[in-house]
Amino acid sequence: MNHAVLEARSVAKTYRVNAGMFRGSQALHAVSDVSFSLGKGEVLGLVGESGCGKTTMAKLILGLETLTRGDIFIDGTSIREMSHREIARRVQPIFQDPYSSLNPRKSIGSIISLPLRALGIGTREEWEQKVGEIMERVGLPPRLRHNYPNQLSGGQRQRVAVARALIMRPEIVLCDEPTSALDVSVQAQILNLLIDLREAMGLTYILISHDLAVVEHLATKVDVMYLGRIVEEGPAEDIFSDPLHPYTQALLASVLTPDPDLGLPDVRLDAEYPNPIHMPPGCSFHPRCPRAEKICRTVLPEMKREGERRVACHFPGPARGG
Amino acid sequence: MSDVLEVKGLNVDLSIPAGILHAVRDVSFSVRKGETFSLVGESGCGKTMTALAVMGLLPRSATRRAEKIRFEGEDITDADDTRMTRIRGARMTMIFQEPMTSLDPCYTIGDQLEEVLLEHRKVSRREARERAVFLLEKVGITAAVSRLKQYPHQLSGGLRQRVMIAMSLMCGPSLIIADEPTTALDVTIQAQILSLLVSVQKEFATGMILITHDLGVVARTADRLAVMYCGQIVETGSVREVFRRPLHPYTRGLMRCIPIPGKTRPGQKLETIPGIVPTPIGELRGCPFRNRCFFARPACGAEEVEEIWLSPGRSYRCILRPDDVMEGRAA
Repeated sequence: MNHAVLEARSVAKTYRVNAGMFRGSQALHAVSDVSFSLGKGEVLGLVGESGCGKTTMAKLILGLETLTRGDIFIDGTSIREMSHREIARRVQPIFQDPYSSLNPRKSIGSIISLPLRALGIGTREEWEQKVGEIMERVGLPPRLRHNYPNQLSGGQRQRVAVARALIMRPEIVLCDEPTSALDVSVQAQILNLLIDLREAMGLTYILISHDLAVVEHLATKVDVMYLGRIVEEGPAEDIFSDPLHPYTQALLASVLTPDPDLGLPDVRLDAEYPNPIHMPPGCSFHPRCPRAEKICRTVLPEMKREGERRVACHFPGPARGG
Repeated sequence: MSDVLEVKGLNVDLSIPAGILHAVRDVSFSVRKGETFSLVGESGCGKTMTALAVMGLLPRSATRRAEKIRFEGEDITDADDTRMTRIRGARMTMIFQEPMTSLDPCYTIGDQLEEVLLEHRKVSRREARERAVFLLEKVGITAAVSRLKQYPHQLSGGLRQRVMIAMSLMCGPSLIIADEPTTALDVTIQAQILSLLVSVQKEFATGMILITHDLGVVARTADRLAVMYCGQIVETGSVREVFRRPLHPYTRGLMRCIPIPGKTRPGQKLETIPGIVPTPIGELRGCPFRNRCFFARPACGAEEVEEIWLSPGRSYRCILRPDDVMEGRAA
């Protein structure tokens, strides 16, 4: 196994939230006990419903939030010992909405060169040159460098965001819903670009997406999160062909592939997504789980490992028919 | 089956600083009783404008021209606001993408549900309340009576959308227009809400126009569809026909550029449609898709492309022979 570019060890993040006037504050466990490791060139797909902690995890990796417990290592160095600048050199984000993540008052050239300027890397001439290079790399005509974001299409804006992330030559690129705001016909262009760049520049991606078809297409490894915890992990192929956790099974069953011969899936997750402030005891998935038994209501299932796969469930196994 | 809605030759122009934007161009379609008809397309293709034009809810900067709009046999082409207000919310209702923006945060769920019925029908508040509880239970909300006293912010996104569906059913409409009803929801909730919409729609024999950009949603829920591009309908047909044998190069491109589990190979390049969606401003000529089209030839820019009808309900708007598009033969 190759050496880990990114490693999370028992990462936890707890926020204090106000419960209401005079009631003091309560703990919200956004991320609890998350561990994973990622080798160079891998693509980790982080999937789960809104509120499962995937964005908090992203913020922790980017150093935008402080860890409550545990540690994250980039190339073996703890991010607790790294400055913001050092983290920024190695991990760069691409966000969902290229309409709001680009400053409308700055020219494209200045947006792309910002990371270099902010970190004081190189001279003005070098910035110009690097901007030209990276624009070409991501498929933006260099003449656009003097234009402004509002003169660009959605796909072009997302290319600008990709160029800005890559100009630092980071090792890890964190893609948070990179194509969700784009038109269907433009999505494929950006996905192809991400595939190209990974090979050409030896990048490692963390891909956060609610679109499981996109995750299946790009990811080499998948972590399924539920209420702040990883419930299942494995190589993408295995997770999609043979999910073991009932939550992963429900998620995959909900994907609407464009096949008119299939009707709507019968997703039997009756209960609502729980409030993370009042976490259910035992396995946090038990109120929605079709397989839940007595033990699930009281005992938190341990992460069981088998080869490259991990699953946290008392009764893991293939989906049951019926 | 009879038509609930029949639209013929609908045009919507928006006047914007850059000129006249032809948002909807010569759109004709019909929706039958108990049928789900889907308008599919990317942002800016005119699908929402088409719906707003039917509802009479266009912004002030818009002008609408139509040969004919018939709703339940009644000609509403030139219906004024008073007449449309009586129809909207009662016989023709709309469900929007983001339920939080369509529910009033200052009123309880109960007040808002009951108001719809009290506004349009001569009923007592008690009857309105009974109907509200009945429908909340119908859309799968437990403890419906106590939900009536809650405010929108106390509900999750999925619950709010259920409330919106219940609200749209209060007066027993004959047409529901659902504009991206599940786009703001999580995947596990999306499937539930769509099943719910389809089941109540079938149960009450309501016609539905489902507006979406998601081909998965269309394939699994709709009976018929129209693909829109640049304000025009470029292809119509039954969902099976269109998915099995797309006749327009744009439809074909759309279906090939999305990753499909089990069909596309992970990590492989996806097919793309080059370029971007143009904005239909000013004088328009020829096929709007020709700049991105693999099959384009000079004739495509020469004149307006007419809709070609293969059978009632099956049409496409392209000068190429369907067989050439199917087999991927370039010009």
